[in-house]
Amino acid sequence: MNTPTIIAIGSCLLAVCLIVGLLFGCVQKAPPELLESVEALDQELARIRAVEYAPEEYARFVGHWVAVKGRLLSEEEEIRWPWEPNPLAAELSVLQEEGEQAAAVAQEAREEERLDAHQRLDWLEGRLARFASRIEQMGSRVVLERKPIETELLLKQGRSYYEQGLYGRSLHAVEQASRLVEDQTTILTTALARYADDERVGVWRRMVRRTVQWSATHHAAAIVITKADRRLTLYRDGHAVGSYPIRLGYNGVLQKRYQGDGATPEGSYRIIKKRDQGETRFHRALVLDYPNAEDRRRFSQDLQTGAIPAGATIREQIEIHGVGDGLMAQTLGCIMVGDRHIDQLFEQVEIGTPVTIVGAVHVANKVALALAELEEAPEEQNAEVPEETEEPVEQG
Amino acid sequence: MTRPLMFALVPLVFMVVGCTKVPTDRIASAEQAISEARAAGARTYLAERYAKLEGMLTTAKHQIATQEAKFVLLRDYSQAEELLESIQMDATRVTAEAERKREEAKAAALQAQRVAQASVKATQELLAKALVGDNRAALIALKVDADGLTASLAEVQSAVDTGDYQGAHVKAGAIAQKSETLAADVRTALAATVAAKSQKRKASRTK
Repeated sequence: MNTPTIIAIGSCLLAVCLIVGLLFGCVQKAPPELLESVEALDQELARIRAVEYAPEEYARFVGHWVAVKGRLLSEEEEIRWPWEPNPLAAELSVLQEEGEQAAAVAQEAREEERLDAHQRLDWLEGRLARFASRIEQMGSRVVLERKPIETELLLKQGRSYYEQGLYGRSLHAVEQASRLVEDQTTILTTALARYADDERVGVWRRMVRRTVQWSATHHAAAIVITKADRRLTLYRDGHAVGSYPIRLGYNGVLQKRYQGDGATPEGSYRIIKKRDQGETRFHRALVLDYPNAEDRRRFSQDLQTGAIPAGATIREQIEIHGVGDGLMAQTLGCIMVGDRHIDQLFEQVEIGTPVTIVGAVHVANKVALALAELEEAPEEQNAEVPEETEEPVEQG
Repeated sequence: MTRPLMFALVPLVFMVVGCTKVPTDRIASAEQAISEARAAGARTYLAERYAKLEGMLTTAKHQIATQEAKFVLLRDYSQAEELLESIQMDATRVTAEAERKREEAKAAALQAQRVAQASVKATQELLAKALVGDNRAALIALKVDADGLTASLAEVQSAVDTGDYQGAHVKAGAIAQKSETLAADVRTALAATVAAKSQKRKASRTK
């Protein structure tokens, strides 16, 4: 091969290289794999809600991404030499780093919030279950009115938001539910504080002692009912001769204030009537002289101070009765014992037998202990007032 | 400088300067379009695309600021103008889609609300039948809960009224779920009463 031929071939190769270079190397192009990678990152950032969890990083990424996209879509393509670095590739690399950083920040913040929501939901669900159990133990759910259901609804919403990945809203619902639990604790502590009050329990204890002494002195029967223990004790000659489990009103742990409040009264009463089978819906019943003078005095005072509803009355009849045809977990304010037990009582008591109803005789009673376990606070509400009747009616 | 040259240069300078004016109208239009997207619920229903719009606006403003820093005759706002135009077009699409999604969410929330209302109504009717006779004391707690559910339905309506369809949907779902549980509790209590009465009747016949 002679020199001119070599020069000619070399020139041709150079020309081809130049043409190829001009055609392919000099036009700015984004590397497709890098572009795909950034696009995938963009979708991932959307999926993990980076706008919410890493707002600054995401805004930076978006701003940059938009600018790069603008350049990619621009019709004017920059010419560069093959040996020059590709500025778009460099930009995309930076963008990828920014996107990855935003994704990392968002993932971390989101996971942190998810864990927080998860833990709080679990904790509150556990706490509510314990709370409900204590309330059941005290028999005081109705006093909380709508708060338990509101709390439960909020908790359900919190769980629902959590399952949808809306951890922020889940936490908000849990926070509201927690506040309601605190409110309920405050309500109960206020309404039932007397069960943990030494002085009050001391008064109740003296009432019981007097009743037992009366039984001893008069060689007669006397009944003592302890609301916190849900127990009725029959005394004869000053000695306990029978003890029976009882059920109270649906607001039984509260002091009765007016007709229809579901509470069971506290005080010293006497049996004024014995209703045998066929005379009552509840197998057999012992009618008490409720309301007594003290109940009426307290009722008038509550009415004057507005502590009870303006139209409230005090005509309710309170009995110790059996179950009869009913299957009542609670009563409307009466004291219910089993049919077999009311039969025994019925035989052993007379008209005039004293019946003393107290909250508790020990400071460490079931209600006080349950209150202490609640750790926080309670609140109090008014019970529903049923339709008034002219005559006292057997309520159950 | 001769007068003819002056006559030729002055319009040219005005033309150049005039062409490089800050596109304030376009910024305002883009901002307005984004504001409309936000009002359509884009922040809630298309959060990522809405964030992109805001990102694009920030970029456009940054480009304008960069040009403003240059010598007057060297300023070029064409890229920023293109971006602002693109924002306006995207925002219009986002607005339409957000409105569509919002309507879907609203329809779903209203459907959930209807289900919850029907469920609570049925539970209240069941309770009304059960709350007669000697057993009503045992059902008072359930009645209080049912009244709580009825009251909560108003909160669903409030959420719908304020456009919080997601919240309304979730709340209505929780109410319906609880209402079904309550109804089941009432049925159980009623069944237990019937069974107890039947047992008593059998016992009295045996005696």
